[in-house]
Amino acid sequence: MPTVLAELIGVEARSRRYLGLHVLSKFLLPLSISLSLIYARDPLRALALVAVSLAACAAAGVPLSALRKYLAVLMSMSAFIVLAFSLFTQIPGRVLFEWTLLRVQAERGVFEWKLSLTDAGLSYAAAFILRILAMVLSATLLLATISDRDLVWGLLSLRIPFGACVAASLFFRGVHMFASDFYTIREAMMARGVDFERTPLARRFLLYANALIPLLSLMVTRSYEVSLALESRGLSPTSRTASGYYRFKLGRADYAVIAASAALLASFAAWGWFA
Amino acid sequence: MGQPETTVRRKISWMHIVLFAFATAISYVLAVLSSLIFPVLGAPGVSALYIAAAIYVPLGIWMGLWGCLAGYISCFFLGLYPSGYSFVQSFIWSWADFIEAFMAALAFRALRVDPDFSPKRPAAARLLPLFVSTGAALLLIGVAIQVLWGAKYGEPFTTIYVALVYIGLALAGVGIVMGLLAGHAKTWIAHILGIIGASFGSGIWGAGTLTLWNLPPPLPAELFWPVFMGWVLGDLIVLSVVSTALLVALTPVFKRTGLLAKGWWA
Repeated sequence: MPTVLAELIGVEARSRRYLGLHVLSKFLLPLSISLSLIYARDPLRALALVAVSLAACAAAGVPLSALRKYLAVLMSMSAFIVLAFSLFTQIPGRVLFEWTLLRVQAERGVFEWKLSLTDAGLSYAAAFILRILAMVLSATLLLATISDRDLVWGLLSLRIPFGACVAASLFFRGVHMFASDFYTIREAMMARGVDFERTPLARRFLLYANALIPLLSLMVTRSYEVSLALESRGLSPTSRTASGYYRFKLGRADYAVIAASAALLASFAAWGWFA
Repeated sequence: MGQPETTVRRKISWMHIVLFAFATAISYVLAVLSSLIFPVLGAPGVSALYIAAAIYVPLGIWMGLWGCLAGYISCFFLGLYPSGYSFVQSFIWSWADFIEAFMAALAFRALRVDPDFSPKRPAAARLLPLFVSTGAALLLIGVAIQVLWGAKYGEPFTTIYVALVYIGLALAGVGIVMGLLAGHAKTWIAHILGIIGASFGSGIWGAGTLTLWNLPPPLPAELFWPVFMGWVLGDLIVLSVVSTALLVALTPVFKRTGLLAKGWWA
């Protein structure tokens, strides 16, 4: 069964052993990384967390090519963070570069807007950027190792009502269905002479808005068909179906991953507490 | 003597659940497209024109909490991919979209409005979102200038603030009068309140959890105002233009199919 990231962009973890783990273990490891982010407040701790996240991704066999998809995110966020620490605030420290952009003589003093780069500002920016990298790696680890079937089985094993499990499954099916519907509607509009490439942004926005009405009409029709199919089988949203087709059991490897996740969080919490 | 009034207890059906799941899927697809086509640079997942809001906010008006949940879950997955926020950050941040749909749904339920968007004066219905959004946007820019610079430096920032607030309030006032003329007055007033409440409510939570209150916030606190402004202005445009069009076109469909929820769930 392909994982969520494999269905979205074709990237999947390669380690069969990791993919075979219980959904709880595959969920707890990225969760512990994301909780450890709270304690990674300086560049050193953030760098350590990046190293741990990379090691976890490598152990799960997540191809690093997945990061290419996040490159634009990483670049724009990094640039924005450096700008934030140089344009919108001045962190006290050794000034490396300073340039006044705007000077207004106001009623109570002089308003100056400066581009100011300090060593402390750069250190803050580095910690933020490394935290973003760890955050992206934890999200990749989660999505590249969990499939929609994992989620549905996980919900069933928690004795969640059948309606919620069906909704989770339909959501994943729906993403592909409506992405393809959206492109069909877009192509139909192009066949009638709409040129999305050359259309100005404001006009393009209205064109996309117009595409929503057929998309929503399709959604209502499909929902009606699926609901009828479910009702005709005598299923009710609150029923609890037998989940005996597949039994979730935690193995030794699961206990090891869960213990490692707890240890990771505890060690970062201790490092943050005593630092 | 008329027939005794019978109250029918409305129940959650498969139609609600399936429609919610599909609406969440559509919202996610549109959320990803919006954040790629119209991004607020440096704040992944934040779009200057977040078209997905035009799906789950009307759904909140039609189907109550199902729309709020569709907003929450689509935003949660958008946070994970392609935005790259961690599980915890995304879990906290996504309440912004829940609040967005909830504010619109609340406006209709608190005022006990049976939505009737059939426009009696189409010109007024087309122009009112423009006036309300421009007015609210000018008001927001004025308040931001006063908070950031006016309070500390005084003139000329105070004059700019006063001018923007007066012009913004005047435009919003004209928009509200147009709402009274557009058709069913209660529906349009609830819609205007919903648009403003949804944009500001979700903007405060969304920009706040990206810069101030998350575990940990992915962006520095100094970026609160740029992200907040981009968020609110984008929402005001999308909700007033796109969601109004969808509400006018599809409210009769939801009424006809019995999907229009009187309460919060059914």
